[in-house]
Order: sequence, then structure tokens, then C-alpha cells
Amino acid sequence: MAMKTLTPEQKQALAALRASLGGISEQKRQAQKHLIAARKAIHRHLEAQPATIPQIAAALDMPSDEALWHVTGMRKYGKVVESGEDGDYPLYALAAYEEKAKAGH
Amino acid sequence: MNTQIDSNYTPDALIVGGGIAGLQSALDLADQGLQVLVVERQSSIGGHMIALSKVYPTLDCASCITTPKMSAAAHHPNIQILTNTEVEAIESRDGAHQVRLLQKPTYVNFDKCIGCRLCEYACDTEYPDPFEEGLGAVRAIAVPFTNAIPQKAVLDAAHCGTCGTCARVCPTGAIEFDQQPRHLTIRTDAVIVASGFQLNAVTVKPQFNAHRSRNIIAPITLERLLAPHGPYGRVLRPSDGKMPSSIAFVQCAGSRDESIGVPYCSRVCCMYSIKQAMLLSGALPLADITIYYMDIRAFGKGYEQFYQNAKAMGINFVRGKVARIHPVDGGDLAVQVESTENAETPMEPRRHDLVVLAQGMIPGWMPADSTPVACASDGFVATPALTAPTATTAPGIFVAGTAAGPKDIVDTIAEAGSAAMQASQYLYQKRSALVAV
Repeated sequence: MAMKTLTPEQKQALAALRASLGGISEQKRQAQKHLIAARKAIHRHLEAQPATIPQIAAALDMPSDEALWHVTGMRKYGKVVESGEDGDYPLYALAAYEEKAKAGH
Repeated sequence: MNTQIDSNYTPDALIVGGGIAGLQSALDLADQGLQVLVVERQSSIGGHMIALSKVYPTLDCASCITTPKMSAAAHHPNIQILTNTEVEAIESRDGAHQVRLLQKPTYVNFDKCIGCRLCEYACDTEYPDPFEEGLGAVRAIAVPFTNAIPQKAVLDAAHCGTCGTCARVCPTGAIEFDQQPRHLTIRTDAVIVASGFQLNAVTVKPQFNAHRSRNIIAPITLERLLAPHGPYGRVLRPSDGKMPSSIAFVQCAGSRDESIGVPYCSRVCCMYSIKQAMLLSGALPLADITIYYMDIRAFGKGYEQFYQNAKAMGINFVRGKVARIHPVDGGDLAVQVESTENAETPMEPRRHDLVVLAQGMIPGWMPADSTPVACASDGFVATPALTAPTATTAPGIFVAGTAAGPKDIVDTIAEAGSAAMQASQYLYQKRSALVAV
């Protein structure tokens, strides 16, 4: 994806928007930090093998509803795919892992 | 479709709300050659109906009905649409209406945005997606949903990290961080209020303990779970992603109860619950599905047969009132029912792994606070004339759909057509009188 440089006017407008929002709050900063850490941890866990939501939640010591929310987001944006079922639970795998498995690697 | 109109624009009619009622009224008026402005507070037109999976009693795909109407309205030369815009007030004088609008900034120039979603893919901030009832995730800048109209990205400033990445990747320079809220006043001769409804909260009855379990859900949440393009792509329970094997529907959970301020029947809950039960039995063929009800109100054409079909499909109907719901181990729920069929033998609590509460319909907007339109005691727009069900207390202002009271999609569309005809007749009479003078 080609990244352009912001023009001075865009930088100024962005700074004004940030100021109008009262800056980046500590709560927002922490939420973003948590989001990135959780996504990385789920990604690492799924690198080994597909897993269900309770398995992901147990491995990462995360509430299972939160694990489901993260996996849903990762699935929406193409990072994770469904990969069969384990009992009453769907299995989730990294999209890249699933592609490799289909190709026979 | 023009999202950048100004106060010089004077449509023949202004429609408050871009749901199925507003769109139907707009199309009916526009097809008569009248200029129409549709004002929608959300980022897309389509209302509640675009979020539904299927409609009863035909089980037709809801978005297959809604999307063509959305598209027809968006492309109609006589219809203008303003999204992200709220009606602040309506002042009526000498048969004309001054409608004060507030258009909120989207931080995206809709004339430049091509809907490529590169900004959305580049954004690294996600939050619970309101369109998916919080079950899915959406990025801080995103096209609201797959079949949204307009297909334009909208930046949610409340969640934006102001990193500027969206502007760096946008190929058309559409991102405008300096957009400000815009006030405009539109003069029009007729207004149709089609502001729709909202559902009361699942927590409205504390005895159901919805605040203690993610597996007690609203019917609109189940609609998203059942939709083919829903958040999980299949029906899973929100607490842990399990495929539910025992699902309960609790009827009259937010209606017909004076203690919660909703003494009236919401009219649609019986039928949408039966529809959802039928769809669930297709999606989860082995699941046990139970509907706890006081009485089934299957009043429309083909509705009784639909109800009988559901019974024949094996859906359990238990006549009684649910007294309490308690979360138990494993994320399951114990439902305590007071049976009216077998009152002498109290029923043991029944265990389910997902419970759907049939919430009550309440008004989506209270126009009486800021317009000449009066509301009835239930909060919906008052329609005092029995022979003119879409006429309000204010001349030249009409009402359509659930803004006037709970009703289903069939009745909403019929009423929207009626409101358009009444508005058209009003405009014709008003203009004929002016010509005669």
C-alpha cells in the first residue's frame, strides 16, 4: 500500500482534531495497547495449530467473550479463517496457515 | 444522491428517517415528480430492516428487499439524501416548515471518496461494531457495513487515534480532518416523520439478569447471528463461541407490562420469534428450540399458517410466563417458567444455552420536544383522525411506519405509501389554492 506524506495543511488539521478531542486520553492509549497485544498473542497461538475460542481463552488467560471478539475482528479483516470444528466449537486458523495446509505444505 | 446540499435547496417534501418507511414514501413522492430530501441520522440509509436476516411469513431475504429500495432512492434524480444528519427542530408557519438540521462531520469528503476501503484496511484501531450489536469489530474509519448506502468511509472521531494513516493511504485525498458540524435550515411545504423505533434494553427487567450473562440476547442480535454476512458467519453464542444446542425465546419480555412503562403489545415479537426459531432450526438442525409465550398473536395474512408450520417443524411452544432467568455453570441459563397450562404443578427450571428476550418497541425519536407534532401517551406520534391514519396534529406534517406505533414491515410499507399520497394531495391542494388566488 502506497503511503503518502501528509501535507502541512493536513498535519495542522490533524493536530486541531486531536486537540478538539482533548488529546489522546490515557484510556484510549491503553485500549489500543491492549488491542495490539491481544491480537499479537492470538496470532502467535494460532501459528502452532487451529484452536477453538475456549482453547485460545485458556491459553492466553483471557475472558472467552473477549477472545471471540478479537477472533471475529481478525476473521473480518482476513487474518483468520474457520478451519473445521472440535465438538460444539468451530476451530479457527490463521489464513496463511490454512492456505499452506490446502497447498499441501 | 447529493450529500452536500445547502440551505438554498427547497424540496417539496422532507422525510425524517431513511429506513424502509422513509424510503418508500420518498420513492412514491419522487415518482410523481416532487423533489424530496431524506434526512438520516446514521451513516447509511436502510434503517433496522437492512440489519435483518429474513422477513416473515415468506422468509424472503430482508436485504434483497431493502437494498433495491435503498439503491433506487440513492439514484433517483428527484431524491436527495443527507446521512449523519439529525433534525434539531421544525418550525411551522403559514403552511410552510423550516426544518433545522445538524450534519455531523464524517471527516471524509463524499465527493472524493470512491469507497475503496484502503483507509479501513490501513487503520489499526478497532472497536465493537454497532451494526453487529457489538459482536463484531469495526475500524475507526470504515464503510459502515457491506451493503451500506452511501458506500463511503466514515471516521469515528471518538475511537480515532489521530495517527493520520488513513490520509496517507487515501488515493483520492478524501480525508478532511478539518470538517466541522454543519447547521442548515431547509424550507419545505410537507414533512413526513418516518423516524422508526428502538427496542427497550434487555436489562429492562432485572429478574432476567441480562446484565450477568452475554448469552441473554436481544432479537436484533439474533438477526445478526442469523444473517449470512453476520459477525461470526454462523450462529454462535457470544460468551464463548459455542454452537448453541438449546435456545429459548421469552415473549413479552419488554412489552405488555405497565411496570416498565410499556403497557402495549409490540405486535411483531410473536412473528419474528417464530421466524427466528424456524431459521435456527435450519441453521442448527439438532438444536432444541422453545418459545415461552403468553399468547401468540398471528394476526396478518398467512401468519397463522406460519405459526402452524413452526409447530410442525418441532419447535416447542410452552404457554406460560417466564419469572426468572439465572446464569448457571458453563455459561448456560436456568429459565424458571410459571406455566398457565399446568398451573398446579410448578415447572422445574429449564436449562438453555442461549436465551432471546422479545423486547418492546419504543419510539425512535420524540418529535413533540422540538416540533409542532404531538405525541400520544405511549410516546409515539399521535394520529388523531381515524379516517386519516398518517395525519399528525400539525397540518402538512405526516407520519409513516413505526414512528406512529409498533407495526410490522408489511404494514409499514403500506402506511408509507399512504403518507406519501396524503402529502402529495396536501401539496397539490395547497398549490392549487395559491394559483386560484
